[in-house]
Amino acid sequence: MTEAGLNQVADQLRELLGSDRVLTGESDLLVYECDGFVIEKNSPDIAVFPTSTREVSEVVKLCNASDIPFLPRGAGTSLAGGCLPVGGGVIIVLTRMNTILDINLRDGYAIVQPGVVNVRLTEALKGSGYHYAPDPSSQGACTIGGNVATNSGGPHTLKYGVTVNHVLGVEVVMADGQIAYFGGRAQDGPGLDLTGTVVGSEGTLVIATEVCVRITKDPQGYRTMLAVFDSVEDATNAISGFVAEGIIPAAMEMMDQGIIGALEQAFEFGFPLDADAVLLIEVDGLEASLDEQRDEVTRLCKMHNAREVRLAKDEAERQKLWKCRKLAFGAIGRLSPSYCTQDGVVPRSKLPHILARIREIGEQYDIQIVNVFHAGDGNLHPILLFDERKEAEVQRVLKASGEILDECLACGGSVTGEHGIGVEKISFMNKMFQPSDLEAMERLRIAFNPTNRLSPDKLLPTAGACGVEQYHPGRRAAL
Amino acid sequence: MSVTHESLPITETIRPNSLEEVMETLQTASQTGEAIYPVGGGTSLDYGCPARQPGTALQLTDLSKVIEYPAEDMTITVQAGMTIRELSNILAERGQQLPLDAPQADQATIGGVLATNTSGPRRFGFGTARDYLIGVQAVDGLGRIFSGGGRVVKNVAGYDFCKMLIGSLGTLGVITQVTFKLKPRSTRRTIVSCQIDDLEQLESVLASMIQSQTYPAALEFITGPKWSDLTDDENRLFAIFEGPDTDLEWMNQQVAQEWQQQGVHNITTLGAEEAENLFSRLTEFPADENTALTLKTNVVPSGITSMIQAARELDSKCSIQAHAGSGIANLIFDEFPAEGLSRSLTGFLRPATANHHGNVTVLRNPGGQEMTRQSVWGGLDHPFWMMDRIKQQFDPQNILNPERFVFA
Repeated sequence: MTEAGLNQVADQLRELLGSDRVLTGESDLLVYECDGFVIEKNSPDIAVFPTSTREVSEVVKLCNASDIPFLPRGAGTSLAGGCLPVGGGVIIVLTRMNTILDINLRDGYAIVQPGVVNVRLTEALKGSGYHYAPDPSSQGACTIGGNVATNSGGPHTLKYGVTVNHVLGVEVVMADGQIAYFGGRAQDGPGLDLTGTVVGSEGTLVIATEVCVRITKDPQGYRTMLAVFDSVEDATNAISGFVAEGIIPAAMEMMDQGIIGALEQAFEFGFPLDADAVLLIEVDGLEASLDEQRDEVTRLCKMHNAREVRLAKDEAERQKLWKCRKLAFGAIGRLSPSYCTQDGVVPRSKLPHILARIREIGEQYDIQIVNVFHAGDGNLHPILLFDERKEAEVQRVLKASGEILDECLACGGSVTGEHGIGVEKISFMNKMFQPSDLEAMERLRIAFNPTNRLSPDKLLPTAGACGVEQYHPGRRAAL
Repeated sequence: MSVTHESLPITETIRPNSLEEVMETLQTASQTGEAIYPVGGGTSLDYGCPARQPGTALQLTDLSKVIEYPAEDMTITVQAGMTIRELSNILAERGQQLPLDAPQADQATIGGVLATNTSGPRRFGFGTARDYLIGVQAVDGLGRIFSGGGRVVKNVAGYDFCKMLIGSLGTLGVITQVTFKLKPRSTRRTIVSCQIDDLEQLESVLASMIQSQTYPAALEFITGPKWSDLTDDENRLFAIFEGPDTDLEWMNQQVAQEWQQQGVHNITTLGAEEAENLFSRLTEFPADENTALTLKTNVVPSGITSMIQAARELDSKCSIQAHAGSGIANLIFDEFPAEGLSRSLTGFLRPATANHHGNVTVLRNPGGQEMTRQSVWGGLDHPFWMMDRIKQQFDPQNILNPERFVFA
């Protein structure tokens, strides 16, 4: 689009929203040129800040009339480039739509605007006996609208399910600006499950402007344990052992020696620095059986050669353990100037194999790799450490990352458990799906977003998007 | 076994032995315009609007193999023609389960249960099909195969065809193969029961359950003549618990105490055999064939008493099962309402659902009276136009279950 054309669109947007809610200056737009995926950057032409569904709808209609691409953005914590304005255009920033509209305990739901930060809902529910279950590690920053777009996970999704399992309905602005409501407060509405179909579509089908989420009864109690292992192999065997015995804790996270050291420096929790790996295991439920469950967890860990299983002695210590886990990525700065993480998933019985392969791949490419991940789900987050000033190292990191994801696929897994395809992993879609699967996805995209002006060049390798050529691995935000 | 059900205008039944045969059948039909009625165990053929176009039943019951069962990963991949009973038996051998309570499990197939989004009492504690289906393969209305999801329990790659196909009544594609995530098998189930005097008391007990210290797998309310052999009381509420023994004993006592505080009477804990029999009755209720009309209402949970009230105003002898924790009720009428279907819905039930964000659909109407799209599916405020656009992409010739679903 010509500069004159863009100016005209900007003027129309100012007329609609007021000039304080339309940004066009180069420096103003810098923050919107990428999200947590920083390899590829591209500035939008215009950023707008609607405060109502009607305004989002009007913005979308205006973009369509001007034939300019547009995409939604929450807090920009996506790790796969979901908010990258690939072809420029208008970025619709939803963070000012941040009101919790309704909390209804009797009927088990809350209605929020998309810009509500995840943890704010659970804070608002505090004392009610209920909480919002999906708890991505970035929950202090990420928005529920963004969670809906990426179908976010988190540590406790092991027991409670991911975002889609907690979304009852969404109000959306369609790609042509029409406003619609999918699903709703009551379950089992007639016809297709449009809600389930659009959750996780990474902003390529609709823009969510209101979300009706299920709220979950708090557990009566917790037992949170730290199991210490002398080898990664023992720790991963323990995880597989849990699942094989049908024991699914509320959360089961693994951290290896590399990350434990950084965490200890940062938080001084008292982690055993000589341990090869620790498992953070939480069981929850009724007090009546929690000690039984704790004993069972201890027994299984010991069976797999855990040298020690520590129990968090009180709620403060439990909170501190979880803080260490959720802020783990912040501690990585102590290990290297740059890092890159992947989000592959393997069947849980393949964890010992994949962790051994990750170690081999690290050695083969001479790259240090540390691990902190959602072990109970088989959802890996290998973190590759490097110095981006060393070009040869950068190339080795890219090759090692690709090889790890290929190995996940060879194990029957997925290249992404919770971060999304975005632009980062588009080139893996052809490896994971058959051409006929991708064509079907393209048809679904066309049903919702026929002009492809909404979030173009995302998620699907078709329609001209073939993924960014990766020259630089990125440093990522928390996950 | 071939399908001879009078509910569908079937001229021929094809029972494919391979995926290729499914694809070929659909490719051919898409060229000739022949209607295709995907069929599993044939337990829900009268669900939806009546089909008028003569066509071929595509019965999947011979595609019933286990593709992969890595029990140590708590997932299973199976062909969609397997019956729910067979799946349950296979999983039970490894101490696992798919906690979907489907009626007529000996006949009902996995594909059919998914296509109709069937669920039962334990949906309150365990969720529904959308919480367990993690991978799906289907063949669309042009005979094109497509898959979504995968075989791991956490996966966000690509669009979620699992959600798109659940409840689509076979109108977007014929489900051929699925992967589920599984749960450990519940070792024991207990049921605590109480008498409910009136609907006011019912709402007060249900509302109190929001802050109950217990975690029921199901909260079921029953009333009406079909239940009279089970109980002398007019109305009963059941809290169904599953879990380790220590939890069950604690919850049985706790809920009894909580209910006592609510002033309800005749609180009892059912014996094991009695509990299993009741659970089976609760699962089978919506499929009861001795019915003149079976409806399903879905509202927010606090609206359930208004629905029961409205159903009784329509017919005081209506038999009702409410999945009270989820806001779902199944209503069985022994006599077809004198007002007719459409007036019963618009005059009594839909106003009550509308006040509680809900809807009414027809599950069974053996007489077939007034089965219009509007009366069968309701939900005028739902975005059927968007569903039409998806249908257009996946079955442009409109050969899959024509006229039965919500499409224009």
